[in-house]
Amino acid sequence: MPSDHIQGGFRKNTSGKRLSTMIMNDYLDLHRRASEGAFVVWIAIIVPAELFSGFENVVYGVPESHAALCAGKGAGPVLCEKAEGFGYSTDLCSYARIDIGTAFDGGKDSPTFGLPRPDLIISNNNNCSLLVKWFDVYHRAWGVPHLVLDIPFCYENQKDRDFRYIMDQFGTLISTIEEMSGQRFDRDKARESVRLSSEAMKEWKRFLGFAAHRPSGITAFDSFVQMAPILTSRGTQRLVDHYRLLADETEEQVKNGIFPVPDEKYRLLWDNIAPWHQLRKMSGRLAGLGANITSASYTYCIGALEGEYDPYEFDGNDPLAWLARLQNFSVCPHGLNLRRKAMKEVIERNAIDGVVFASNRSCKVYSLMQMDQMRYIREELGIPCVMIDVDHADVRKYSEEAAFTRLEALLEMIDA
Amino acid sequence: MKGFLDSLADLKSQGHTLVGCFPLYPPLELLHSFGLTPVVLWGLRQDITRLTRSDRHLQPYACGVARCLSEFVLSQGGEFLDAIFMYNACDTLRNLPEILQSGLEQDGSSLPLFRLHIPAVPINPPSASNYLEDQIWELTKELKKFTGRSFSGPAFLNSTVLYNQQRMLIGELEHLAATGRLGFADCADIVLSAGRMPVSDHIALMEHTIRDAANRTPGEPAARIMLSGILPPPAALLDVMEQAGLMVVANDLAAMRRSYGYLPAASSDPGAYYEDLYSNHHPCTTILPSADRRLEHIMKTARENTVQGFIFVGEKFCEYEYFEIPIIAQMLAAEGVRTLELEIGIDDTLNLDAHRTRIEAFAEMLRQETGRSRRDKDAV
Repeated sequence: MPSDHIQGGFRKNTSGKRLSTMIMNDYLDLHRRASEGAFVVWIAIIVPAELFSGFENVVYGVPESHAALCAGKGAGPVLCEKAEGFGYSTDLCSYARIDIGTAFDGGKDSPTFGLPRPDLIISNNNNCSLLVKWFDVYHRAWGVPHLVLDIPFCYENQKDRDFRYIMDQFGTLISTIEEMSGQRFDRDKARESVRLSSEAMKEWKRFLGFAAHRPSGITAFDSFVQMAPILTSRGTQRLVDHYRLLADETEEQVKNGIFPVPDEKYRLLWDNIAPWHQLRKMSGRLAGLGANITSASYTYCIGALEGEYDPYEFDGNDPLAWLARLQNFSVCPHGLNLRRKAMKEVIERNAIDGVVFASNRSCKVYSLMQMDQMRYIREELGIPCVMIDVDHADVRKYSEEAAFTRLEALLEMIDA
Repeated sequence: MKGFLDSLADLKSQGHTLVGCFPLYPPLELLHSFGLTPVVLWGLRQDITRLTRSDRHLQPYACGVARCLSEFVLSQGGEFLDAIFMYNACDTLRNLPEILQSGLEQDGSSLPLFRLHIPAVPINPPSASNYLEDQIWELTKELKKFTGRSFSGPAFLNSTVLYNQQRMLIGELEHLAATGRLGFADCADIVLSAGRMPVSDHIALMEHTIRDAANRTPGEPAARIMLSGILPPPAALLDVMEQAGLMVVANDLAAMRRSYGYLPAASSDPGAYYEDLYSNHHPCTTILPSADRRLEHIMKTARENTVQGFIFVGEKFCEYEYFEIPIIAQMLAAEGVRTLELEIGIDDTLNLDAHRTRIEAFAEMLRQETGRSRRDKDAV
């Protein structure tokens, strides 16, 4: 089967090429529709974007996703420095610094020319309540209303009381957009969008499932890159089509004996946000050592309930209820026990040999449980672990050699 | 004045049941009404000099408040505390309960934990106020189970009256400091001691101090400043400020004004009381819905107190604070108020000379500007 798949990941086969086109078109479409008068919303990643499909002409941009894209394209440092020049501390999240640097300099140096100016900003506080502080910066600078969804943190599975509280807030969100945009919300359209999201997540999990094959059919780096359209095309048929193509293509490759790390000796799991500035370098160098980071908590949580792996399927009824129940589909809002539960399941499913805990200065919510999580994985599950220092988007805070000294030590521990 | 650990040892020996509360603004009155003695776990740097236990659980980029709190709970919590209380004050603190429980379990110990989610949206819509009320009653049930006492409306009312008295006296104390009758370092020390003593003892301490200080002659500052941040800076830095002629005439410190600035109406109904308290709380970076009010409040305070300089005492790694500083500095500059940003990390109590130089330079700049302004006035 023809494939441009280089060792260590990055499938530049049909789905890889389609991904680039899709992301480019999503951003172009966002700018175009905004310029033609669409109601523009900026959202945090967990905000239920499917709801916007219930309106005639509402488009959304995701500052975190935009910042990750900038970091992946090498624009992180220059944009961070701009924000620092505006007085924002180097200790602040690098996503925030990149995005503030972009927004306050007219989109210069951003591969997408930034995002179109919003009419409404919506954040939530379960993934990270600093998002609220970050989005407040724009709210104040531009006088744009900022709506916060207050989603309680999950030390255990979502409680009914929390579910009802979230549902009430979705009602406020919908009425706010109706009032501001003059458009009516159509629940059936939102239901269709939710159905498509649910379909897409099934295909996404089918794709991730090839990490269980030995050697693995994928790398976690593939999943990092391929998660982008979840944030730009959520709730659309093109997202379903894309993930179906991705999973089909991966299945075909596995059948034909094509693997990202053919001489795979070590199967690793990554815990934290992707190191966007290191994807190619890190995957390639690890592949040279016979190591494949096959799975990542950052991507396996998507589409699942807290502490789970399998997708949470839509039952076809109330789209708001599905979205409210799935308001914890990233790792950050999960307590330690839920994180342990999901990671244990993935370690067992995918026969993981070692876990890389990426201690990320830019994401305390993800990182500040890792030392105890690592102790549990090492002592209770008997899996070797290592912690490396990373900043997900600011390469100036990352040392490749220091990281690889530890990664190589992990491989030695696995061999021992 | 006694330090944190000595104070807690005294309380334990007197038979108090101590609940170690995570900062910033726990529902102290409710705990107190059940006969418990809440202590607030911040301002521990003087007592917690090593972080060996905490460093096994938290990376060094957690803030000093979280690291000291963790060290205390893990190393001595079992000895001094009977329970822990936490709420969703910030991302770091919300991650801590299970980490601490896991750390305690490793040592074969444990502490009961009470949790509360305070809505991070305006509490006026019924959904948020009902949610908070449900949570408060849930906590009440847990406290009943823990103490074996039933909730008492009159006891709660009494607690709210006491805590309001404390808030008013802290206001008076800060006013005495602002007029130079009491050193700000002493004032800060007394205010922070609220976190480690019974409220009635704290009231008595403040009444005594206020009586002593009230008749002193007001001081004349070279420059009037406002302090902002989570905690007051180390006493040595407050001394440097005083020696440089800077008088703290107002503060926006989380452990001082932000904690005590709003007086809710005394009530026997905890649901209504906390809805009032958290809705109208003195603005704080960690109370997300208060963000817009906070800017207005700082500007108003600066104007009313004719503040010339604003010193931001940054708690290293407290992103909540750092996101707001650029706009605050910009707004203050537009009104001719200068800003100095200091950053206090966990080790900075041992290395204050760099801060000393910057404070002295800041004071010199303010003095020169005051002199220039006076000369300009005279010329007119």
